[in-house]
Amino acid sequence: MSTQRSRFEFDPGFEDDRLRVAWYAVVGVLVAVGAYATYLRLTGGMASTNLTSIVPWGAWVAFYIYFVGLSAGAFLVSTMANVFEVEGMHRIDREALFAAIISMAVALLFVWIDLGRMDRMYFPFIWRQLTSALSWEVHAYVAYIGILVTELYFSMRIDLARVAERTSGLRERFYAALALGRLDTSEESQAFDQRWLKRAGIVGIPLAIFMVHGGTGVLFAVSKARPYWNSGLFPVIFVVSALLSGTALVMMIYVLRTRLFDGDSVDPDLLDRLAQLLIGFIIVDAALTAIETFIAIASLHPHEIETWQVIMYGPMSWSFWWFMIGFSWVFPMVLLSKRSWRRTPSVMVLAGLSVVIGIIAVRFNIVVPAQVMPVMEGLPHGSYFPTLVEWGTSVGMIGVGLLLYTLGAETLPLTPLSGGDHE
Amino acid sequence: MGYLFGSHPGQTVLVSPFPPGSVYVYVYEFPDQPAGAAPTARRRDDWQRVVAMSTADDGDTLPGIPNVGKADLDAMVENERPDPREELADVEADTDLGVSMAEDAQSVARGEISGDEYWEKYDEAAAEEFGDAYRETPNPAVDAGDQTVSTETAESLSCAVGSMDTVSTETAQVDDGEGGIGTGGEKWGMVIDLQKCVGCDSCTVACKSENRTPPGVSYNVVMEEEHGEFPNVTRTNVPRPCMQCDNPPCVQVCPVSATYKMDDGVVNIDYDRCIGCRYCNIACPYGARYFDFGENYDDEVEGAGEITSPEYGVDRGSREEGKSPIGNIRKCSFCTHRLERGEEPACVETCVGDARNMGDLENPDSDVAQMADSSRAFQLKEDEGTDPNVYYLK
Ligand code: SF4
Ligand code: SF4
Repeated sequence: MSTQRSRFEFDPGFEDDRLRVAWYAVVGVLVAVGAYATYLRLTGGMASTNLTSIVPWGAWVAFYIYFVGLSAGAFLVSTMANVFEVEGMHRIDREALFAAIISMAVALLFVWIDLGRMDRMYFPFIWRQLTSALSWEVHAYVAYIGILVTELYFSMRIDLARVAERTSGLRERFYAALALGRLDTSEESQAFDQRWLKRAGIVGIPLAIFMVHGGTGVLFAVSKARPYWNSGLFPVIFVVSALLSGTALVMMIYVLRTRLFDGDSVDPDLLDRLAQLLIGFIIVDAALTAIETFIAIASLHPHEIETWQVIMYGPMSWSFWWFMIGFSWVFPMVLLSKRSWRRTPSVMVLAGLSVVIGIIAVRFNIVVPAQVMPVMEGLPHGSYFPTLVEWGTSVGMIGVGLLLYTLGAETLPLTPLSGGDHE
Repeated sequence: MGYLFGSHPGQTVLVSPFPPGSVYVYVYEFPDQPAGAAPTARRRDDWQRVVAMSTADDGDTLPGIPNVGKADLDAMVENERPDPREELADVEADTDLGVSMAEDAQSVARGEISGDEYWEKYDEAAAEEFGDAYRETPNPAVDAGDQTVSTETAESLSCAVGSMDTVSTETAQVDDGEGGIGTGGEKWGMVIDLQKCVGCDSCTVACKSENRTPPGVSYNVVMEEEHGEFPNVTRTNVPRPCMQCDNPPCVQVCPVSATYKMDDGVVNIDYDRCIGCRYCNIACPYGARYFDFGENYDDEVEGAGEITSPEYGVDRGSREEGKSPIGNIRKCSFCTHRLERGEEPACVETCVGDARNMGDLENPDSDVAQMADSSRAFQLKEDEGTDPNVYYLK
């Protein structure tokens, strides 16, 4: 080990100090905007939104399911390394887990701000309802965050111990505390970690697929009153689009962090592997969505048809054509089509970013159109576009996520010190 | 101003010189009830207006405005006015006492004697006449927002202190042994006759004023549907309260069980538990749920927030930011607080076409049970499996 130790170089954080300042300035602005908007939300109550009793769920719910999806997707990418042991994926294992944790935290912030009574956010842990998908979901989220943190711990512990060994004073104590005092860097301790990492991952996979993200889809799908959501395929599409956005996110931050933090060169094989995964998910997502649309329209159910008309030709149809079809399917597909592009980091960052943005529109198009149609003939139609307060708070919560991620990336050994695959 | 409030067993008489310039005698009857049960008062429909309209000076009429002969009108009213003695002879309370109190109450209204003098004069007689009922029932002249009796006098009186509001909410909140509101033996149901509904929206208005719902919240709406093409057009008005479903999707989805079915069939919302997630709002197939965004009518109507409604038997006082039901979900409760007092829901009481009926669906002899059984009866969205307790007649 002693010969190996000198090989480990631990210097997380931005390579370029000017970039660091600029990045924190941007994040700072986002958080400041969010803080002001949150102040308006807290003092003005729910009246500061454009929500109504006809469209009671809006941007916050859309972002909530978006971040749950990002998290579930990123987590499932991490399991490729630590459960399925796909070759060459270990480098992004912790990255994916950490992104999954932050996404989940952001998702819960969105749930919180959306409550009419924010002060009662702990009530679901006091009172429950067995038949309520939401009641189950809240518990699943907590269990899932527990699994994610456990996994990240076992994945990163040995490097935390190594870093603690080489630092002193406060920093040493910081890393030793994160390693929960297990500072053994022997082979056996590593094997122990690997074993538990895999076990936690095995528990986590069904939890993420069926409970966390599938469950979030079920939450909508059980709404018999909204035929657009009320389909068995719906939760499946939820999971697939989660995988799509999660893979895109991991691909994007892998390139950015390797370039800007580690100052390393990106591994083109790993990038190509992620890109091919992305292609697969885009195809499945588009195919399932097409099937769902076809069944809906073929049912000739007026509610279904009118909802699809709202999506495709309504005032918000641009979000469907440009963002959902364009940014999350067509544009990335073009960028992914050539092998040489798939191995070019900058192009893949663009493809990842495009999907990550496009899926936001997918989430909005899930939440809003089903509420535009009245549940009964004779009741008014709904219309909804978020207020500045809703946008501002959303930007702020995303800013908090970016801040937490950056702070973590600047302090934690997210890149394995040994440089990648199993040592 | 002055009041007499006291009762004989089974009956309570209230003399009220309000609005100013008139005197009302209200007779409340208490049906026989088992000992210990919650008192449910019913106001006798034939409350009497004893003296009406002050005789104002006819004076000069304004140019262009015909003299309507107010003196003649007053004389007509005087003619129509029932004899107070005859009226009071019907009730068990002392007629002389009633008449003299009523006359003095008019003096109070005219400002000839003060409320203090009035009550000092009659306190003893009322206590003697009405006994415990007088001593235990709050005197509405005392401790009201516009108290008309000085504190010293109020303290010297032998009646209890408290507002009328407290009486009504206490009545509704009384624990009847099994856990309060909604535990009655009935299974409440509503039948709405669409042939009788004229689409006047009075039910919606009555509901708003009974439940004091804020802007954007309307427990009842009348859905108007037009069918066919000119000239063969028909129009149906379908009033829509909450259906109080037997299998309510709203209850199914609430993550904290803040909304649930009570024994009497009404779906309750516990404002102290609801976290405002609006999942039930999404799940209701009838669009019957509304979120309270905290708005109010203060800009449109002066003193709009002064009167509050004891929904589900709980008077929560004035609306304040951060205090339930603001930030909660709301819906029709079949006017549970009125049902518990033995009254019909406001919409049923007000319906001009007599289209709405309320009663016990489990009592086969009740009107609603029979109507709900008729071949004209149907429920909205029957295929949703919600099994509403609101029936419509085609
Ligand atoms: S009508 Fe709607 S709110 Fe009322 S009980 Fe049924 S599902 Fe619940
Ligand atoms: S809004 Fe309130 S009553 Fe409705 S589901 Fe949420 S917590 Fe339950």
